[in-house]
Amino acid sequence: MRTKVQVFSLVLFTILFALANYRLPDWLPADIYLRLDPLLGLSAILAGRAWVGRALWGLVLLVATMLVGRFFCSYVCPLGAILDFLDPVLFRRGKRRTLESDPKLRNLKYVVLILFIAAALMGSSLVYLLDPISLLTRSYTFALLPPFVGLVNILLDAFRPVAEAMRWMSIATLSYTQPVFYVSLITFLIFAGIIALGRLAPRFWCRYLCPLGALLSLFSPLGRWRRTVGPECSACGLCQDACPMGAAIDESGTRLAECIQCRTCVAECPQDVIAFPASPQLLPVGETSRPDLSRRGFLYSVAGGVGLGFVVQQSPFTPLQNKAQLIRPPGALPENDFLTTCIRCGECMKSCLTNTLQPSLWEGGLAGLWTPKLDLRFAACEQECNVCGKVCPTQAIRSLGLEEKTHAKLGTAVLRKEMCLVWAQDKLCLICDEICPYHAIVFRPIDGYRRPFVVASRCNGCGYCEQRCPVEGESAIVVAPIGQIRMRTGSYVAEAKKLQLDFKPNPGDDQFILKTEGLKVEPEKHESGSKAMSPASPSAAKKPKGFLP
Amino acid sequence: MTRRDLLRGAAAGLALGLPRPAGAAEPDLAVITGEPGAAARKAVDALGGMSRFVQKGNRVVLKPNMSFASGPDRASNTHPALVRTIAQMCLEAGAEQVMVVDNPLQSPELCLRRAGVADACKGLKNVYVQMFTDHKFYREVKVPQGKVLDRVEVLKEVLDCQVLICLPQAKSHSNTGISMGVKGLMGLIWDRWSFHSKYNINHALADLATVIRPKLTVLDATRALTTGGPGGPGEVVKPNLVIAGTDPIAVDSFGVSVAPWYGQPFKGRQVEHLLAASQRGLGKIDLEQLNILKATA
Repeated sequence: MRTKVQVFSLVLFTILFALANYRLPDWLPADIYLRLDPLLGLSAILAGRAWVGRALWGLVLLVATMLVGRFFCSYVCPLGAILDFLDPVLFRRGKRRTLESDPKLRNLKYVVLILFIAAALMGSSLVYLLDPISLLTRSYTFALLPPFVGLVNILLDAFRPVAEAMRWMSIATLSYTQPVFYVSLITFLIFAGIIALGRLAPRFWCRYLCPLGALLSLFSPLGRWRRTVGPECSACGLCQDACPMGAAIDESGTRLAECIQCRTCVAECPQDVIAFPASPQLLPVGETSRPDLSRRGFLYSVAGGVGLGFVVQQSPFTPLQNKAQLIRPPGALPENDFLTTCIRCGECMKSCLTNTLQPSLWEGGLAGLWTPKLDLRFAACEQECNVCGKVCPTQAIRSLGLEEKTHAKLGTAVLRKEMCLVWAQDKLCLICDEICPYHAIVFRPIDGYRRPFVVASRCNGCGYCEQRCPVEGESAIVVAPIGQIRMRTGSYVAEAKKLQLDFKPNPGDDQFILKTEGLKVEPEKHESGSKAMSPASPSAAKKPKGFLP
Repeated sequence: MTRRDLLRGAAAGLALGLPRPAGAAEPDLAVITGEPGAAARKAVDALGGMSRFVQKGNRVVLKPNMSFASGPDRASNTHPALVRTIAQMCLEAGAEQVMVVDNPLQSPELCLRRAGVADACKGLKNVYVQMFTDHKFYREVKVPQGKVLDRVEVLKEVLDCQVLICLPQAKSHSNTGISMGVKGLMGLIWDRWSFHSKYNINHALADLATVIRPKLTVLDATRALTTGGPGGPGEVVKPNLVIAGTDPIAVDSFGVSVAPWYGQPFKGRQVEHLLAASQRGLGKIDLEQLNILKATA
């Protein structure tokens, strides 16, 4: 029964992850697991000093835990399920003894929790580092999905000759776009490390480290379905050995905070004296139901969290924050709010249609670790897609309709004339103009040649020009955060109007092709093989490009 | 041979799609007024029917314009009804498989959805609508008659199929003046950016047309994007025409005449890449030399 629920939950988590793409219907909350995690919402609210609507979902889990107990860890948590399923595969049974330092280690997760809460109060949201749902979503995105797609494509390639011969054309032509992320290895090592810790103790992560488990364990002893051991108990100790959480202790006791109600002990007990009845008492009794973190330990944790929160804000990388030319996703909150509210789950980057959303490392300061930025040389921001905001569980990226999203200006394209083929080499090139969805690139006659200019008020920073610029290496036209619109509330359309920006596609621009004023009047030089554009002769200038007189 | 035998033989020959007896010459171009689907069917029928181009068991590739994430109103993509009709006609002629392909400029998934071709072809058995955006689906071929191109990587499906039919949309193009059948061939190759940055695009297109030779071109000029091409939005006029022919240059050249481009009337001869292609002997560019059948669907 429990295994079935776990499989279901893990499959559901994985399906929702897969569904997080640009086709996501508005009614489907693909980020529901992240929303249900009260720790993520709490940390975002404390660090951001602002209310997060979607965090209300976290109350559902808190209330359920208060009513039932810590069932989340054993039935729902997808990371817990992965640890449970991999445990018998990776580690031999019976070889692991209880760690001698178990009671001390047990407190570690409370230290972690207090550390993150204190840091959040300092204005640094760090909980993403170890929150299981954020961590797993991120691991799926950066570490598991890319190799998975790669593997599927390799298998498809291997099978392709057969499919072609059999005329299974849907398979013969099938190939998935390979997602690319820069931090796959780091993310994978953390994920693998958590699994490897299972070598020391089953569910090592859940017992000793997980801050969400720690938070839930503060409420779970209130749950009505508590473990009881009958008086016939022979103290054989089998339940102690079997308990994956080390919650069963000798002489019929239970660490209620640790018990995740998995009922492994019930199955294990030779005397059938263990049960989980609905308790008549509202409040639990006994020492074993409380975490026993000393006052000193508590103070150390708070001090550590305050220190950590401070260090993140003022590190050698901090100056980068102001210099960095990071382009944030459309609808991203103002930078400081964005950094405190973003929980680094990677869901936006997973769902990004063009894969332009990439995790930052330290380029935006240490506080920007794993936050999404656009790599516009790699891919542009698709005009018809607004999924990143839709799936953001804390709304660090606001969920916007397409019209609003179009007006959430990301930045402005800047022409680097010294690299531009037209400006620097008098070559004929107008790819940036051709690809621009807003006709923000215009050509004006300068020194006898038509040269590109950016009309800043028409550029919303989508980056198609930067991506497609044919100059090798760095692009000759680069989107900089100049003029980006970042707002906590309000309409981007209204703001853009106020700033007199116009992102309506405007074809009237073609007229420039026909104008001749200012162009050099020279007899046409046309050496074959020469790539230089011929200065427009008056007669040629009267025709649009591609036409002859 | 009796007269009856001769007729029988001719009928059998027609049915089998063998070359017709001389004298039963089809027009060079069929220019049909009407809705995209009906006009396309009538145009191909006027050229002798699809069985003239597609034999039983053939693998057919259709190349419409569907590389922009926009619907038919914007006139940057071929009308989905036209694509469906031609695909259906290929199946009726006995095609084993019809692959509708393009290499899009925007996200392939978005283009497939917005252009409407995938939806239009739903339910047609053995018709596949597919964007090929991975290098592994392309193969390099030499361009023996090339002046600026000496080799080019072409979609394998095109190289391996028996019949290529181009279904271009009539539209303006900020770089080549107009974009129709010949310009549309750029959607069948891997590296398009070199055409823009490295070569004289007009001559590169003429070179490309020497290696990719459609058996039939059906130009969608039911709507024409006369400014703002190739992606639009721009001015859309409605000539309500479908133009079909075996000579890709002739079809494009007629297409140039159906609307003013950027507000000016042009002849096919004035389009640099068409002129270059006709000078390579790839087709007739002057409409006066063509036998044109005009009708209404």
